[in-house]
Amino acid sequence: MERLIEKWQDKINEVVIGSKKPIKIGGETGVYFIDGEDKCPNPPKVAMEVWDMEPEAWPDVLKSNFEKALRDPAEWAKMCVDKFSADLICLRLASIHPDLKNTSSQEAGKTLEKVLKAISVPLVIIGSSSPEKDNEVMAHCANVAKGENCLFGVATQENYKTLTAACLSAGHSIISEAPIDINIAKQLNILICDMQFPLDKIVIHHATGALGYGLEYTYSIMERTRLAGISGDKMLSMPMISFAGQEAWRTKEAKTYAKDTGVLWEIATCSAYLNSGADILVMNHPKSVKEIKKAISQLCDKN
Amino acid sequence: MEEFRITFLPEHKAVYIDRGTDLLTAALKTGIHIYNSCGGEGVCGRCKVVVKKGIYITEDSGRISEKEREEGYVLACRTTPESDMEVLVPEESMLGDLEILTEEIKTTRLAGLYTPVEEIEEEHYKAALKIFKHGPLSTKIFLKLPKPTIDDNSGDADRLLREIKKQHKEINVIQMGLSNIKRLPRLLRESDWKVTATLGNRNKTTEVVLIEPGDRSRENFGVAVDIGTTTIVAYLVDLNSQKVLGTKASYNPQVDFGEDVISRIIFAQHEKGLEKLHHAVIDTVNSLIDNMIKEASLTLDDVTAVISAGNTTMTHLLLKIDPTQIRKDPYIPAVNFMPIIRASEAGIKINPRGLLMCLPCIGSYVGGDIVAGVLASGMYKIKDISLFIDLGTNGEVVLGNKEWLLACSTSAGPCFEGGGLTSGMRAMKGAIQNISIKNNFLEIETIGNLPPKGICGSGIVDIISELLKNKIIDRSGKIKENKICKVRDSEGAKELVLVEAKDSATLKDITIDENDIKNLMHSKGAIYTGIEVLLKEAGFNKSDIKHVFIAGGLGTALNIRSAINIGLLPDLPEKNFVFLGNTSVSGAKACLLSSEAMDYAEIIANKMTYLDLSTSSSFMNNYSAALFLPHTDIELFPSVKKLL
Repeated sequence: MERLIEKWQDKINEVVIGSKKPIKIGGETGVYFIDGEDKCPNPPKVAMEVWDMEPEAWPDVLKSNFEKALRDPAEWAKMCVDKFSADLICLRLASIHPDLKNTSSQEAGKTLEKVLKAISVPLVIIGSSSPEKDNEVMAHCANVAKGENCLFGVATQENYKTLTAACLSAGHSIISEAPIDINIAKQLNILICDMQFPLDKIVIHHATGALGYGLEYTYSIMERTRLAGISGDKMLSMPMISFAGQEAWRTKEAKTYAKDTGVLWEIATCSAYLNSGADILVMNHPKSVKEIKKAISQLCDKN
Repeated sequence: MEEFRITFLPEHKAVYIDRGTDLLTAALKTGIHIYNSCGGEGVCGRCKVVVKKGIYITEDSGRISEKEREEGYVLACRTTPESDMEVLVPEESMLGDLEILTEEIKTTRLAGLYTPVEEIEEEHYKAALKIFKHGPLSTKIFLKLPKPTIDDNSGDADRLLREIKKQHKEINVIQMGLSNIKRLPRLLRESDWKVTATLGNRNKTTEVVLIEPGDRSRENFGVAVDIGTTTIVAYLVDLNSQKVLGTKASYNPQVDFGEDVISRIIFAQHEKGLEKLHHAVIDTVNSLIDNMIKEASLTLDDVTAVISAGNTTMTHLLLKIDPTQIRKDPYIPAVNFMPIIRASEAGIKINPRGLLMCLPCIGSYVGGDIVAGVLASGMYKIKDISLFIDLGTNGEVVLGNKEWLLACSTSAGPCFEGGGLTSGMRAMKGAIQNISIKNNFLEIETIGNLPPKGICGSGIVDIISELLKNKIIDRSGKIKENKICKVRDSEGAKELVLVEAKDSATLKDITIDENDIKNLMHSKGAIYTGIEVLLKEAGFNKSDIKHVFIAGGLGTALNIRSAINIGLLPDLPEKNFVFLGNTSVSGAKACLLSSEAMDYAEIIANKMTYLDLSTSSSFMNNYSAALFLPHTDIELFPSVKKLL
């Protein structure tokens, strides 16, 4: 019997990130990994997460992979690229949060400079979830990284203007985040575009849930977003990023004594989102990174 | 128990209350109506008063700013005395004159609209006459009975019924109560066998309601009442000539116990709550009737029928029926099709034997006011698909034609009636009703052209539309810096100053903040999504809608263009929209004058299907898409896309 292959009328925007070794994401004209349909010119990428301070809440099974590097973001980033083959680095400026170290913009900027110097892969930079402090620090960091074509996050419906303006003037891309709501995702993209921000510099993030913690819900929202994008909705035809790793490692299951549970949890979560259309997966454990990268290459090679 | 004397300024009304009784309750006892929408739960923050003297205990509230706290502002409902007190009720917390001047508001509010007031009213009047056969709820007929003789020896009552049947062959069943029969022997002989019988159309049978001496057939009057959640409107109608002799309107004083139906149902469960709610509405209806009667130089005995249209909860409260089950799963009202009863049984003061009819309800959240609205719109008689929207607190929407009707209630909230807004007010004198920005200048039009006091529902729709068009707010309703209006920070949210204190009647700035805009977006989103869900359920498109009927107190001043711009109404040609004003009372009036209309009301109620949006899966998803200006999907509003 002849198989019916869906034809989609539009394609996802291609977003280029980085300057030294730029990568391209997006560009899909079909649904990922479906036989005959997935015209995906740019395979999904894996970013590894690096903090600007030692992440205390991480379980030992995760921390032990990086050892001393945990205290030096530049070294940590280098290790992720050289040793664990990360495609991108995601620098989380956790320490700037007023409740943690309340690190100043200047200090955060210096950390960023060091990380930029240490690696040549593209950089994703995200804040600390303190809206006011993030605005202040990210505006400064966007300037520090001017010309590096980074991906900055995260813009939310309540707080997008400062970051959008900063990214616009320094030529970076932006992550627009919505609380697992396709309408808000679209609304936020409209608002960002209303500030003359180019469409091909936006990456969507749907707030993520790990396996057993709302994964199916996020999965279907991401799938719907992708379907809307390739069906011609310009305000949803952006590539997607998923912070799946942090969610997996936050679960109580990942923190059990059974050594591999966390890794398995991260792999399960990330491979699900891979299939739902994620273009960048932000991950933590080297073992799961390895597995997911293997999965990506196998899935893409098949055709 | 210790008692304290509380004096309310500026009126110097005083009352003694116990320790532990709050100031809102105290104010009510003195007859001062303080604005509040949550029923004294400390949530809405509208009942602000200023303590001038005395010791008190109050709860902290986020609704009171730091500056206000220093000035002695407290929430009346959260404050109890510890000594005698003097309390100032500021202008903005006063509910204002209880009486709304219907005529005056009508003429000013309708000025310059798409359909002038005379046209609407006349057309309605004509239409009602044309569409329905005259046959009022109660009819008076004059009878000259043949005197009894030894040959013609029927009993008095039998004789009366015989004569009625002789005159009105179409009447089959006639009933007469014992009390009337007891009065007959004396009454007939004293009036020389010339009497007037009032025949009531009671649940498909005819009843001799009343027998009076002499010819009183010309003095037959009825009252049609619209019992709205916010406003009560009454018409005095001559049942013979079909003319409206007077109209009166007043706030529904139940507002003191909560602004929406749910908070009132909750209040009804309090001790004596149902009684208070019932009396609040009955007293108002009685005083409206009383005033109209006096102005028309009639007596209460001349009024033989009352007909009421209200939502299901209002109808329950009018009849003093416990509404508790309305808000409990599976949401079943005590009665939808209320039999005709004596008005006096419900506490309404007209002729003691006069009748009360309540228009039938559809379900818990779509009531007789909507049945009356559909009746008045005529949408149930035409082939075209029409949409009926009641822009009130409950925001009911009906879709259909002569074959089917589908209704839902969207719980739009009090926004369109000026509730839930920083400077909101009802459509009264001094309310900003229209606004326009020309040459970077804000032009404001108030009801009665008086100094502005606040913003009413149609005003807020206009304001948001103008702000959006002039890019003072973005499509998510966030305020931007601009050259036209002053922007300032107000407790975390930005606000725009529309009228400065020196130019306003209250000597306070009239402002709109981002939360107000958000409130309005929730209301307009709910109504729009209701329309979308109904269309989807019925399998139709927006373009299939040929007529949109808009009802409600705000409807008359609403600028259609603005309402489309903000995404409240679907993007259809403006000629498709028809304003009907208060259809609840006009539909009720039609039923009062014609049993045929009443039959139609029952047919409508039976035909209408109620769609519960809380169980509709598409509602929530569509709803969040509608929380944008005008909508997340701009393609749904092509005419607005061009403007932006």
